[in-house]
Amino acid sequence: MAWRIGIDSGGTFTDVCLFDDASGEVAVWKVPSTPDDPSRAIARGTQEGTERVGASASEVTYFGHGTTVGTNALIQHRGVKAGLITTDGFRDLLEIGRQKRPDLYDLQADKAPPLVTRDLRFGVKERVRHDGSVEIPLDEDGVREAARALKAAGVKAIAIGFLYGFVRPDHEQIAKRIVEKEFPEVFVCCSHEVAPEFREYERISTAAVNAYLGPVMQGYIRRLAERLKELGLKATPHLTQSNGGVIGFDMAARLPVRTVLSGPSTGVVAAQAIGAMTGIENLITFDMGGTSSDVALLRGGEAKSASDAIVHGYPIKAPMLDIHTVGAGGGSLAAIDSGGLLKVGPRSAGADPGPVCYGRGATEPAVTDANVVLQTLNPTHLLGGRMPIDQALSRQAIGRLADQLGLDLMATAQGIISVVTANMAKAIRVISVQRGHDPRDYALVAFGGAGPLHAARLARELEMKRIIVPRNPGIGCALGLLLTDLRANFATTRLAPLSEDLVPAMTEAFAALEEKAEHWFAEESVAPADRRLRRTADLRYQGQNYELAIDVPDGPIGPATITALGEGFAEAHQRLYGFVAEGETVQLVTYRVEAIGLVPKAQFRPQPDAGPASEHAIIGSREVWFPEAGGFVDCTIYDRDKLKAGNRIAGPAIIEQMDSTTVLLPGMTATVEPYLNLILETP
Amino acid sequence: MNATAPVAVDPITVEVIGSSFASITEEMGEALVKASYSTNIKERRDCSTALFDVEGQTLCQAEHIPMHLGSFIGIIPHILKRHSIEAMKPGDVFIGNDAYEGGGTHLPDIVLAEPVFHDGTMVAWAVNTAHHSDFADRGHAHIYQEGLRIPPIRLYDGGVLMKDVQELILLNCQVPRERLSDLRAQMAANRLGVERVKALCDKYGQATVLAAGRALQDYAERKMRAGIASIPDGTYRFSDSFDNPEIDAPLTFSVEITVAGEEMKLAFDSPAQMRTGFNMVYTALLSTVYYAVKTVADPTIPPNAGLARPLTVEAKEGTVLNCVHPAAVNGRIASCQRVVDLIHGALAQAVPERVIAACSGAVASATFAGTQPGTGELWVYLETIGGGSGARANKDGLDGVHVHMTNTSNLPVEALELEYPLTLLRYELVDGSGGEGRQRGGMGLRRVYRAEAPCRLNIDNSRLQSRPWGIAGGGEGQGGSFVFSEGVEPFIKGDGSLEPGQIVEIITPGAGGYGPVAERTAEARARDSAEKRF
Repeated sequence: MAWRIGIDSGGTFTDVCLFDDASGEVAVWKVPSTPDDPSRAIARGTQEGTERVGASASEVTYFGHGTTVGTNALIQHRGVKAGLITTDGFRDLLEIGRQKRPDLYDLQADKAPPLVTRDLRFGVKERVRHDGSVEIPLDEDGVREAARALKAAGVKAIAIGFLYGFVRPDHEQIAKRIVEKEFPEVFVCCSHEVAPEFREYERISTAAVNAYLGPVMQGYIRRLAERLKELGLKATPHLTQSNGGVIGFDMAARLPVRTVLSGPSTGVVAAQAIGAMTGIENLITFDMGGTSSDVALLRGGEAKSASDAIVHGYPIKAPMLDIHTVGAGGGSLAAIDSGGLLKVGPRSAGADPGPVCYGRGATEPAVTDANVVLQTLNPTHLLGGRMPIDQALSRQAIGRLADQLGLDLMATAQGIISVVTANMAKAIRVISVQRGHDPRDYALVAFGGAGPLHAARLARELEMKRIIVPRNPGIGCALGLLLTDLRANFATTRLAPLSEDLVPAMTEAFAALEEKAEHWFAEESVAPADRRLRRTADLRYQGQNYELAIDVPDGPIGPATITALGEGFAEAHQRLYGFVAEGETVQLVTYRVEAIGLVPKAQFRPQPDAGPASEHAIIGSREVWFPEAGGFVDCTIYDRDKLKAGNRIAGPAIIEQMDSTTVLLPGMTATVEPYLNLILETP
Repeated sequence: MNATAPVAVDPITVEVIGSSFASITEEMGEALVKASYSTNIKERRDCSTALFDVEGQTLCQAEHIPMHLGSFIGIIPHILKRHSIEAMKPGDVFIGNDAYEGGGTHLPDIVLAEPVFHDGTMVAWAVNTAHHSDFADRGHAHIYQEGLRIPPIRLYDGGVLMKDVQELILLNCQVPRERLSDLRAQMAANRLGVERVKALCDKYGQATVLAAGRALQDYAERKMRAGIASIPDGTYRFSDSFDNPEIDAPLTFSVEITVAGEEMKLAFDSPAQMRTGFNMVYTALLSTVYYAVKTVADPTIPPNAGLARPLTVEAKEGTVLNCVHPAAVNGRIASCQRVVDLIHGALAQAVPERVIAACSGAVASATFAGTQPGTGELWVYLETIGGGSGARANKDGLDGVHVHMTNTSNLPVEALELEYPLTLLRYELVDGSGGEGRQRGGMGLRRVYRAEAPCRLNIDNSRLQSRPWGIAGGGEGQGGSFVFSEGVEPFIKGDGSLEPGQIVEIITPGAGGYGPVAERTAEARARDSAEKRF
């Protein structure tokens, strides 16, 4: 027996997904999370999960883990007391940011508080110029004094970030050595190590986030590693990063800023694998939970990635999948505003009291209540019968809104679904049309507890013809952990016009990055045969400040590489902005190398075709409201667990499983494909 | 198609189409910023995008710069005055900037407007404005000194570039390469807007989209009425002092606001227009009033024309706050900021918890112009510098941000020094600049430049003589000022020169406090002192 285990640690549940390499068996398990120390639930989940399949921790050959420890510390401001050493005259930059106020019209809005308070930010005399020359040498005594003052103040981490640290890192390096000498126990990181890129505020902010989270992540990883060792786990544990790949615990502890989107990124990886299984490569993922939905786009099986984002108010320059989050989930609350329009979210009922139908005292209806009234959700109980609910309460709550709107009850319930669908569609437009992709060319992958319930309406809103509902939509992220590779990104900024003269410099730049990548491969013990490198270059017209990432063809760099980059850039610019500036100089800004260490992945096995008949999976029927069919329709209910490969269902229909409900609209058909994913199609 | 044909649109469809309008204008804005070349657009984001209905009423403005609404509400009526709708066709693009004939509020804000046709019918306008940082080192006695005046004329005729027009414009600009590329980025933004609105009409039907647009305006009106109704009826008056590097003695601006039920009337009084750049055209006054009243009545009102319906705005023609041809207007935003202070000051008497103390009251700016050492090309660099934002009833004010009528980003040091022969020596909060109070006023900024090559410089600032006021016993914020290194020739009306190695320090005003300082908590005092904010 050789078990692979993926564990996704969420706010409410810790999901465990196990895969047996020998038999191809997949098992899932959930345990309640332990937010005060998530490693307890992870250890328990590992133990119970392996026991349940009759294995022991020592038989686990792969351990992958997605965590929200970094994200939560950032949202809840529970990082450590941190200090900053920066160029004299610029210590307030971390607070000023780009000097924009957070909301144009709301005078009460606040900026995210700086992660390093003003008294712990020290300016030190030094100045490097944009060409890398030194105007003022580093005041080493000044650094020493700052380090001592920060030690006396009791900080646990220090970020060092100077102007042009990405051009000439030596001032940061010297400062780091001084800090390490004065204050050996402190967590210290430099801006050029964390994000060696142009724009000082965003780079220094990234270093500050990294310092703020550093000791938290180190402590967490240490506790988790100890618990796993106690359980007898022999496999090297891995942690996911925001880029969808995994890294070893040591690197995760050094660069926690790269894990802030660790959770949702694995869902995207799972969708990617499901796309590969089903042969559908152009995908938009839709992960809908209780309070929010995450969406991302995969083209040709590859997830779009971004090199920066603003996360909970803090700019972060780190490779991350381009995941867009919108405050629309099953718990989002519906209300009428002062102008008489129906609004849904971003306020949410949360886990407690939850939607009105839970009967825990809530009075404002949530999206879940609308589904209960429409009977797309089971009107008497949820979670496969484990949780009784009260539809009458939902009807009363939505009835109150209906009276105010002058609509009837059912139209209002359906209206809540339409508005939340519009909010989610807007999020998908951000990652598709705004990036030059037409959602009609993509299939929607629906997961998360509420994804399959809303996917059909969302797809219809965006005119998407096909939806994939994975076999276990509720544990998408844990599954993704079994399917991801080791991944690290290396970059260097070197401005130069794109021309054949650039060949030697480009060769040298990529060679240096590849050397770093090889060093990392060795550190992670990746066998030479499993090493993959991907090179990209960020290009723009000279004069622009936003670049487009263009793939660099494999093989030695030569004039043909330059031509290919020029053509790739023109094509991308035309697609995004609708024009090509003929005759203008194209400028190369940043070289990037992505290092991928291939990990043997769970190999799912196709099931034999059992034919189209699906009657064996019917578990009953109920009235479900479909406005396109004129109202309540007697609708067949299927048990997802009983569906076999090849089975077909014609809509309208409801397909229930323990952690999710799939709605099939009139006119749609659902087919179970060989890997037991459901494919919903609109003819 | 009859645009007034009644089509019933339910409130849910209205909300869905409203979300689409918002995504379209946002997407237009992103394309504009990312494709542009000038630092003022690509890094400082001094641009805005909007959709208008055929009659020139705003359907949606993206959340960029409130000031730009002034250029938007003026442009379509001026286009329609000169050009007949019947003669318009797909691919026509109008360009304009003039404050008197082009619907603009100052000449650098160049507007591009493109009609959207669907099934042969004009259904909307895609519009954007970008602040072209050009027309630098000019006089401001009247508008003829301020740059090229462009009435609304076709830059593209049915998709064909009017090269002669473009060449005429570019020859009148100091940095034509940037102007050309920024115009191209503006074209890209409108083209997206046109495509997206057409797709929306394909999907929901033209009549439904048009009806939803009207319903959204009605919705904004209802929300504005509800917001005004929540302000106690009465007449509220406020006066404030305005100063500026262009004048020696401060001026007095005042307002009388009458709230009656769901409607509000604002009557402004100011001196006769002057031979200075801070005069405001009426559309600039309107956009300022819409901004200021929206912040108090209900910040969530969608930014469309409906919100203006319950408001009446009066100011005597030929005065600083409602100037007529040929008054110069380049620095109008300085006066606009004071108009917001007037409105908040007056409404503080009615709803003190919903307004904030006086903000910096300025858009402190530095416009550098010179010749690039090496290439000999002209360069122009505009920076506007934020300041303190006023203390709130229950919270301190924001430190070092852009307030009210603008919200541009700063230019990163690492971008600035790469493009211009300048070095930034300091960029920091000014200790002690926020007004004292139970809630502290926001702190101003200090930005210190050193010239590396000879250049001309125009500087603007305000609250040089008066101070940002506090509310309910809160203290005044510190004013703005300039400090020059030794040897710099005195600046006249904000204009002067720097030689290599010379230094200018621009200090922007802080903001007023809220409530008596005696009520400040011990915890907040300890933080102020640890962080040396006072």
